[in-house]
Formats: sequence, structure tokens, C-alpha cells
Amino acid sequence: MSEQNNGEKTTSDLGSWLISMGAPVSITELMPREITGLDIAPLMSRLGGIGIKGGVRGEGVGEHPTDVIRWLPIIRL
Amino acid sequence: MWNRAREVSPSLRITCGVEPKAGSGASPAVVAQLFESLMLPFGFFNPARGLLSDLNFSRDAYSLLSDSEQFEFESVRQLAQALSDLDSIRIALLQIDSEEFAIWCGLGKSEARIHLLQLISVIDQARIRVQGAQLRIDFLEYRPSPKALFRSLTQLALVGVRFDARQLQRAWPASARKSLSAKWISKFESIKVFKVLGVLVESDPLTFAFQVKWKGVGNADPAIGLMRNHLVIDVGGVRSFMELPAACSRMEPGVVRLSKNKFEIDFVAKESEWPRS
Repeated sequence: MSEQNNGEKTTSDLGSWLISMGAPVSITELMPREITGLDIAPLMSRLGGIGIKGGVRGEGVGEHPTDVIRWLPIIRL
Repeated sequence: MWNRAREVSPSLRITCGVEPKAGSGASPAVVAQLFESLMLPFGFFNPARGLLSDLNFSRDAYSLLSDSEQFEFESVRQLAQALSDLDSIRIALLQIDSEEFAIWCGLGKSEARIHLLQLISVIDQARIRVQGAQLRIDFLEYRPSPKALFRSLTQLALVGVRFDARQLQRAWPASARKSLSAKWISKFESIKVFKVLGVLVESDPLTFAFQVKWKGVGNADPAIGLMRNHLVIDVGGVRSFMELPAACSRMEPGVVRLSKNKFEIDFVAKESEWPRS
């Protein structure tokens, strides 16, 4: 397992992410360390899901923010 | 509660071409409630900043949410922009509700969700009110050129509001350097309200075209884009949003082919994501 399970939280562990999303610290303290220390970055990146840093969907590594309008090339007929 | 229908006044009047009365731009309580419950506890970000950050919100967007029986706008374009802004806010709010917000609700922030849904409902009802309103143009303070007016009325049609060309003709001042010619009257009458409808047509097993018809769209010089599962049609900063079929989210968009009365967007299926038997 990764070092998160040894108690060192990173910005991509589940506990830190829950707190960043507004969960009270007391809730994460009630959860087993094996759960709160889980590294969710690979999962988020894979799903293109909610980025750890901004909490915005699509901010995972290598992803473009999905709220941006993607303008398309136009061919006039 | 959010799902309780507000009293909808059947006699809403909207006048374009006049200086709005002071104070009409105040944010209604429902907006303040949402942002207070949503943003403050988290010190939170703008959840849909990509969509909203490049908009210069007109103060009129929020004034449309009030219960007033009369709205005044400086121009037709401002009314169109206000409706476009409201639609942009609504799309952003729906995305919050469908995705990020679901997580917060799971964390006990249900009060914020009530305010969110309440604001979405109020926006929906404001749209219904505006679409059923009695619209008139007053040219006494400001008279655009017929060309500029045609553009503004096209923008208004894009956001789903029809204007009575006869009222416009009557309102055009006798003092104008030129009276409205039969050509311009005919052009104004030809403007059709944009219907938020499109069809996905299969070209071959992996290629599709999403077709949208709107009379005169080719002349309106639109920008066309995608934002999540919505098509965005932009005419001079006024935007209309159309939800795409779910299948489009699993396909890669290509070019837009724009002609006078319709446009179509190519979508190519990603075979790996869409296995067929």
C-alpha cells in the first residue's frame, strides 16, 4: 500500500478530499485510517471526475475543464 | 418550497428602448439566499467558471427574476442578453445540482440545495413570463439603424422571444431620416423564433450528424460550441443552449456545416466506448 496508509495525508487522499469539500474534520476522524488515507487521485483521473485541487469536474491530470465551451470549426456552405 | 408555482402575472409588459428606472437591477432575495447558503460555508469557487467567467453579466438578468409587472430595457439587445445570461446561470446551476452538488448534499448541505432548486424554478418561471409578455419598442430615446435592429431582433429570437413586426412598424418615428422600407419590414417579419430542437441522424455505423434548423441562421453568423452535454449557439454574445442526445457525449465532435437555414455537426463514435453487436 502507499504511504498514505501510514498516516501521512496527501492532497489526494480521501480524507483530505472530503474536508476540502466541506466535511467536518470530526467525521473523517471517525473513519478508519485505511479509508481516509486511500489515494483517490488515480480514480479521479481515470473518471475525469472532480479534481482534487479545485473541486471542479474535469480538473484531473490531463483533463480539460469540462465547463469550458469548446467552440467548433465552421464550414459555410 | 421550490416546486410551488409562483403567481404568474398575465399582464407583464416589457419596453425596449427606454432608460430603465433606478433600482431595477437589484438582486432578488432568492439569488442572495442561494449564494449565501452555497458559497459562504465553503469559501467556495464558482462551480462552472468556464461557462460563466467569460460572460459580462448584465444587471438586467437578475431584475427579470422580480415580480414586477413591467420591465424596461435600454435596447432589444439588452433584453436578449439578459435572457441569455439567465439561461447561462440556469445551465450552471443544473450542473451543480447534477454533479458536484450531490456530494455536498450527502454531507448534509440540503438547505443549500433547496435554495438552488428554488432559484432554478424562479428562472424557469421568469422565462415563461417573458415569453408570454407584451413587448414593445420605443424609439423616442434611441433609434438604431434597421440593420442593427434586425441583428438585435435575431438575437431575441435566438433566446426564444418573438417580436411583433407590426408594433415595430407603428413605433418607427415619422421623424426618422428614412421610413422603414418594404424590404426591411419583410426582413423583420421573416425572423423566426429559435426552437430548441435537433435530430441526430446516422450517416454510417460510426458517423452521425446532429441537425438543427433555424431560418436565417447562416446569415446570423453564429459561433457554435459544446459545453458538457449542451450545444451552445452564440450570436454576438447572446447564447442559446440545447441539450444534446446522450449518445453525443460518447462521440467526438467534428466540424459544423452551416447553411442559410440550418446547421449540422458531425459526431464520430469512439468505437472503443461504443461497442456494437
